Amino acid sequence: MNIAITGIGIISAAGKGINETLATFRSSAANTGQVSIFHTDLSYPVFEVKNFSSSSLQKNSQRTIRLAMAAAGEAAAEAGLADNLSPYRVGVCLGTTVASQLNDIEFYQKYRSTGTGPPEPVNRYLNGNLAEAVAQKFKANGPSVTVVNACSSGADAIGLAAAWIESGLCDIALAGGADELNRVPFCGFGSLGILSDSVCKPFDRERSGLNLGEGAGILVLETEDSARDRGVEPLLFLSGYGSAGDAYHITAPHPEGSGLKAAIKSALDDAGINSGDIDFVNAHGTGTKENDKVEGSTLLKIFGPELKFYSSKGFTGHTLGAAGGLEAAFTAIALKYGWIPASPGFQSIDNQIAISPITKITPVKGNFALSTSLAFGGTNAALVISLG
Amino acid sequence: MNINGIGTVFTRGRGIENFEEALIEGWVPPFQQSYSMLPDKSLPVYRVNKEYIVDKKLLKKTRRADKFSKMAVLAACDAVADSGLGADEIESAGIILSTAFGPHATTFRFLDDIMDYGDDGVSPTLFSNSVHNAAASYISSVLNIHGPTLTLTQFKSSFHQALILAELWIKQKRCNNVLVGSVDESGDVMQYICAKKLETAKDGKIRPFRFAPVSPAVPGEGAVFFLVSKQDRYKEYCTILSVTTGSSLINETTPDMYILDANGMGGDETGYLKFASSGAIITGYAPVFGSMLTGSAFNCAAGALMLKKQIKYKSPVQDNPHSVNLCLKTEPADIDDIICLNNTCNGQTGAISLLRNVDELFSR
Repeated sequence: MNIAITGIGIISAAGKGINETLATFRSSAANTGQVSIFHTDLSYPVFEVKNFSSSSLQKNSQRTIRLAMAAAGEAAAEAGLADNLSPYRVGVCLGTTVASQLNDIEFYQKYRSTGTGPPEPVNRYLNGNLAEAVAQKFKANGPSVTVVNACSSGADAIGLAAAWIESGLCDIALAGGADELNRVPFCGFGSLGILSDSVCKPFDRERSGLNLGEGAGILVLETEDSARDRGVEPLLFLSGYGSAGDAYHITAPHPEGSGLKAAIKSALDDAGINSGDIDFVNAHGTGTKENDKVEGSTLLKIFGPELKFYSSKGFTGHTLGAAGGLEAAFTAIALKYGWIPASPGFQSIDNQIAISPITKITPVKGNFALSTSLAFGGTNAALVISLG
Repeated sequence: MNINGIGTVFTRGRGIENFEEALIEGWVPPFQQSYSMLPDKSLPVYRVNKEYIVDKKLLKKTRRADKFSKMAVLAACDAVADSGLGADEIESAGIILSTAFGPHATTFRFLDDIMDYGDDGVSPTLFSNSVHNAAASYISSVLNIHGPTLTLTQFKSSFHQALILAELWIKQKRCNNVLVGSVDESGDVMQYICAKKLETAKDGKIRPFRFAPVSPAVPGEGAVFFLVSKQDRYKEYCTILSVTTGSSLINETTPDMYILDANGMGGDETGYLKFASSGAIITGYAPVFGSMLTGSAFNCAAGALMLKKQIKYKSPVQDNPHSVNLCLKTEPADIDDIICLNNTCNGQTGAISLLRNVDELFSR
């Protein structure tokens, strides 16, 4: 697989756009705080996108869609594409969790008490399929699909879009993920007992859970021919995608990481490379006991103790459906700029993992990097990104 | 790509045999379902009875699953059993589940928890089941399938997108077999929304051949799964020749039969008339299973059955104001190809082109 990445758009608590994000990565600042965008009785820290404004036309859209529009706009601009993509054959494939559900508490409260609910939330939901909304905004005329694979949605959406391009269904795709902070999953993750009451510490011995975040990470993927026809010389590529299921448990990962191993192997095979060719890994690393133990141990088994890896969750929180898209973007940016950030929150090695993420900004020189995603339901995804 | 196994869960039961019986039987009146919040008001609905989703053997691993997941698991398991493939052959299969609304009834039960018990008093089990990909997770766990697993949601053409992806996975050699299907449920709130947004059929009859801007709907629910493979197998139903979606109308030779997804739920149905007037045999089976945005999967199952059995099933509701060549009688037929058509209100057309077993065609 060799699909050109010609545009990158990112928005998260780490910043709006590549420059702000890189500045945060350099400073190792954790932009956490209490929830301010909805009322909740819970007091776990979160990573919110602050001072987020969008065009007046989008005011009535779901926050997830507005985040996606911001990232898609940045990605399209970097790729040298205008907001109107109708001259090209463009697909839209985006992952999410929140935007797929009619979980408007205000609507349901009214419905429950009176048997009738206000129409606006329903209309917003029915007009709010993430991929369909973005496709409509950008006048994309190719296939559009919203992937709802929980926390691997963004990575799987990129893999699906790549398959479209490889098969000729479209020449260009906007692919990635977006999710907003929302009271419903906030309560849900709280009920599972996996939210940390302090800033998350991925892979650390004293880690105590994850922090939820929000954002969007969207790539412009296209065939090399399409890019060159537009006068763009591609620098970054999506070289491999792998996906595999644990077939184990609805929320817990397989203890031996069987699905993750298979997903990584599939992505490496897809790229036609070996594990030794991978220079660094942007790990899923949520900060929960189980995820980090399984993921860290699996990375150690496949790549050995010298592997350079980090988790960006200490900059963004866990952005659920956006995570795979954001982290694919971070991986690509790191390859392009030649350095990876420290893994925030890590201090001491966990002997059950027996491998440590990097603790300071580290130069990278290789051509291949990996981004991993593990999800509820035991789905695992891996993306190989390369420098041309 | 061939269809080698089909599993269904719908208002009249479970399994492809039950589905075929329903196609032969034709239309039956739906339940009148009263709203939980307004018990004096009711809506015709094709719901799946709880007794149809009880299977102690299959559901041992899904005892905490909700109705949405149970319907999905049973349809997926039945598709595998119908295919005759063994556990070793499906271990590396892919799973693609498409849905329009996901497990929304569980989402609302979770919202009940938030309102009744507060943010810190909610059920983790309800939350886990409210995640869209829970059903696919249960399928992989029950059937011990380790291949790629994906859940996708679209209001338009979600089953078509799932089929397209299944074919890509097979072509890319990510897997040799894919369990691909659609699931949707009709919970209390969704019925309320349907009643507000759609013209519901007061007499309980969906009329697929009215081809009007607004047509009557009867909300339905259920699950259909297909075991699709590259290989030719003894028990195959038919070949999926192509799956297309898009704004340009399909430009193909007129098939022996069109199955129309018209069911009152997808908006303006006038676009179907162009195809219905082509001279091909016209039918549509939504009156058997109900109105669903993922109803294309049920019509595709009906098409696969007809190609396998070489029987055409009568249109369950035969109102025919445009005098098209309607399928009026269930009888043996020589059918080589069928196109299942989905025409959405914004002019997008989804077409699933099914072809009779190629070996059989050449051996005639």
